[in-house]
Amino acid sequence: MRRMNGPQRRRRRAGLLTGGLAGTLLIGTGAWAAEPPRPDEGNAKQIITERCSTCHERQADGSLHRIDHVRKTPEGWTMTLFRMNQIHSANLSPEDSRALVAYLSARQGLAPEETAPYRYILERLPAVVETPIADGDLSVMCARCHSAARFGLQRRDADEWKRLANFHLGQFPSIEYSLQGRDRKWWEIASTQTPQVLGQKFPFKTKEWADWQQAAKPDLAGVWAVTGHRPGLGRYGGTATVAVERDGYSVRYDLTDAGGKPLSGTGKALVYTGYEWRGTATLGGQEVREVFAASKDGQSLSGRWFLPDHDEVGATVTAVRTGTAPTILGFSQEHVKTGTSARVTVWGSGLDGGPVDFGPGVTVKTLSQSATAAVVEVAAAANAAPGARTVSVGKAKGGGFTVYAALDSVLVEPAFTIARVGGNGGATPPVSAQFEAIGYLNGPDGKPGTADDIRVGALPAAWTLEPFNEAAKLMEDVKFAGTIGPSGLFAPALAGPNPQRAFGTNNIGDLKVVATVKDGAATLTGDGRLISTVQRWNDPPIR
Amino acid sequence: MNASIIRLGIRRLVRQSPAIRRLAVALCGVGLLATGPLATAPASAKEYLVTGVKPNGLVVIDPAARKVDKIHRIPGGGVAPGTIVPSPDGKIAYVITNHLDSVSGIDLDSGKEVFRANFSSGTERVKAMFGMDISPDGKELFVFQAPVRLLPGEYKVEDTRIAVFRTADGVGAKAVRTFPAPRRVAVLAFSKDGGTLWALGWDLYAMDPKTGAIRDTHKLLNWTRDNFGPPDILDVWPQFEQAAVFSTPYFTSRTDLPPTDPSAFKTGMLTLDLASGTVATKEFEDTSAVIFSSVVNPAKRGEAFSVYTQLSKIDAAGGALVKRVDLPHTYYSINIAGDGKEVYVGGTACDIGVYHPDSLDRIGQIEIPGCPDQGVASLRMVKR
Repeated sequence: MRRMNGPQRRRRRAGLLTGGLAGTLLIGTGAWAAEPPRPDEGNAKQIITERCSTCHERQADGSLHRIDHVRKTPEGWTMTLFRMNQIHSANLSPEDSRALVAYLSARQGLAPEETAPYRYILERLPAVVETPIADGDLSVMCARCHSAARFGLQRRDADEWKRLANFHLGQFPSIEYSLQGRDRKWWEIASTQTPQVLGQKFPFKTKEWADWQQAAKPDLAGVWAVTGHRPGLGRYGGTATVAVERDGYSVRYDLTDAGGKPLSGTGKALVYTGYEWRGTATLGGQEVREVFAASKDGQSLSGRWFLPDHDEVGATVTAVRTGTAPTILGFSQEHVKTGTSARVTVWGSGLDGGPVDFGPGVTVKTLSQSATAAVVEVAAAANAAPGARTVSVGKAKGGGFTVYAALDSVLVEPAFTIARVGGNGGATPPVSAQFEAIGYLNGPDGKPGTADDIRVGALPAAWTLEPFNEAAKLMEDVKFAGTIGPSGLFAPALAGPNPQRAFGTNNIGDLKVVATVKDGAATLTGDGRLISTVQRWNDPPIR
Repeated sequence: MNASIIRLGIRRLVRQSPAIRRLAVALCGVGLLATGPLATAPASAKEYLVTGVKPNGLVVIDPAARKVDKIHRIPGGGVAPGTIVPSPDGKIAYVITNHLDSVSGIDLDSGKEVFRANFSSGTERVKAMFGMDISPDGKELFVFQAPVRLLPGEYKVEDTRIAVFRTADGVGAKAVRTFPAPRRVAVLAFSKDGGTLWALGWDLYAMDPKTGAIRDTHKLLNWTRDNFGPPDILDVWPQFEQAAVFSTPYFTSRTDLPPTDPSAFKTGMLTLDLASGTVATKEFEDTSAVIFSSVVNPAKRGEAFSVYTQLSKIDAAGGALVKRVDLPHTYYSINIAGDGKEVYVGGTACDIGVYHPDSLDRIGQIEIPGCPDQGVASLRMVKR
């Protein structure tokens, strides 16, 4: 069977980044037989040559102006194509865009090492506070309006970064007037120093990308041991069975939650740039989006899934191939208190090869055991030594389980996050915030809040809100900003000016989120900060 | 500075509220536009407030009668009217419109567009951010412009400039001359005698309106004051016609005090006397309120009033906060009666609040029909 040419493939195959998946397997045999599936590139090459080049003229060196001098993630290319349609009348159909994202992500993507520092933005992980970038004042010049990840996930040389600066001020002339734009000669800096810094930090040509282009890309078909954490709901685990389907993969999830209830479903995914897994699935009856990265050797996957319309709600995901080295990935409950017992599921790979051991002072009764899950009843003796345990199941070993007698401290996670008002007839839904109360032991130094503290894990708590500061107290933020439920879920109040408030202002608030945890006779509290703010009106794939 | 962050945040809140947007749409109804002829000009000059509302509305208000006199429709594209400059005879208001791409001159009696200049042409896209003023003889309109060249495959930002239009050229006017201007100018203000065009940007520039030559620069962002950091100024509201004094709040910090010291942050008032050319800056309080814009009392020229969520009365000359009251909501713009007996706060929402200059009591209110959003439109006074 020969490979079909562009137009033929385009008619019969389609893929898309974050929507449904459709198409027909057309990847041929021969040289590609051993290769993993690649998202259909349709007639992308032809579109670029015949249509994009109308504006992006071919240069003396044969390259196309702009297009051939930029590398981006699939989301980055999606945003570019959206803009080309929106303000440059590129008139690309959804099918054209899907093909172009596939083609450009493969030809001009980022290597796994290049995306690693910024995956949170692709995963739409809430509560990330970026580390300021001191070089060239990039955190102010660029990241005062959008994330540092947004430019950290692009690669250009200085002249091309300079073109981007020209686009910025040309499209958004208020940049020079906004806060931290008007306190400096923004344009003079943005058009001279900033492109140089960006070109040095994030250049078009890198060894990482050159190596990744040459590297064999992993085939992700197989059975995977999976575990992850859903903030507010706890851990889950089980298996994912991945099979090649058309230009991507199908997946079947056989998962259970921390309480042992099924959290199963099926999904489909495309893998861009050889490692960027973008999927849609139904899990426990809910539709979710998946943003995972495969390791270069194809032995592990990690990332996040989230709800399409509420991406603040989701879960972390870690997966390893079964049948390789035995390993423990996680526990349905990460702790047991001395003098008590608990039913714990151990998730991982190669767990059917031997006895389950939680260390001295903890007796284990195995209730069931398979390659990817061991369900046990653990009982910690009253005099069991408190501390972190290395658990073993046969040859598989894993940390992350703690025996404790009395908690030393409680921290609220996340320590700082935001929520957003929404609804009330407006165009944007509210954005919630999920908190968890995490117990800790002091560790060897006997002091809380130090590096040797031992994590006990999430614990049930009573949740309350307090004004974060005097201004919040004066504005009665606690009364107006929203409510927090028994699971630590903050639900913001409705959007829009509120005539009941001072100055008729919106239901925004600056809040201290307090968790109160009972541990035997003791009561411990921890707190975090929540700013519930206004709606985000423009919410691109990379913020 | 926190105050500036709050400025941006709250501006977004109010601008984007669904209720305000709904009502703005309602204003599109023809019935609310042009509600009758402007009251015939009496023998003695009468004052009218002029403001803009979304979408594309120009509102003429009789403050003494506490009522809206007219709402005119600004032709063409766009939503939010920006800077408004009245002609010296009070008959025409020039408004930045069409997504900052045009200026439209509206006859305040008839509502007819009597002047229009569209800035962009060919591959050059031009935006007029905020700065605009008219020569005292009413013959020339000066507009600060930020151009960008739209080339195949890329944009090229070009140098900012001031474009001069002859008001007599009417609809379809083209710039009769342009001259370079420093970036980031937000306010243009003519001297009383027409001999100087003042431009507020990083610094305050005195320009020759004929040639554009910068004759003098009063350093602001570039000031070198012992123990003071550079000031933060963002004033896009030209509100100087009553006293012939332009004023703007500024925010600065003491570099010799730790940031934890509340007295390290200072709010001051900059005044520019458009008759004498005297520029003065004076701090009047440890920063304790956000202020967007201010106006000088024509009856007591050392006194200024400023606005945001509070109305403040400031001894600008003496450097003291005299009185401050909370407002029912955010107001961006402020103006004052010619006799100094009433202060008007506007912008942001759909009402004009009337305040007593001494007690700062709310003594009146003017509701704009349909409750449209005034946004950042100027609040200007014309005399007829």
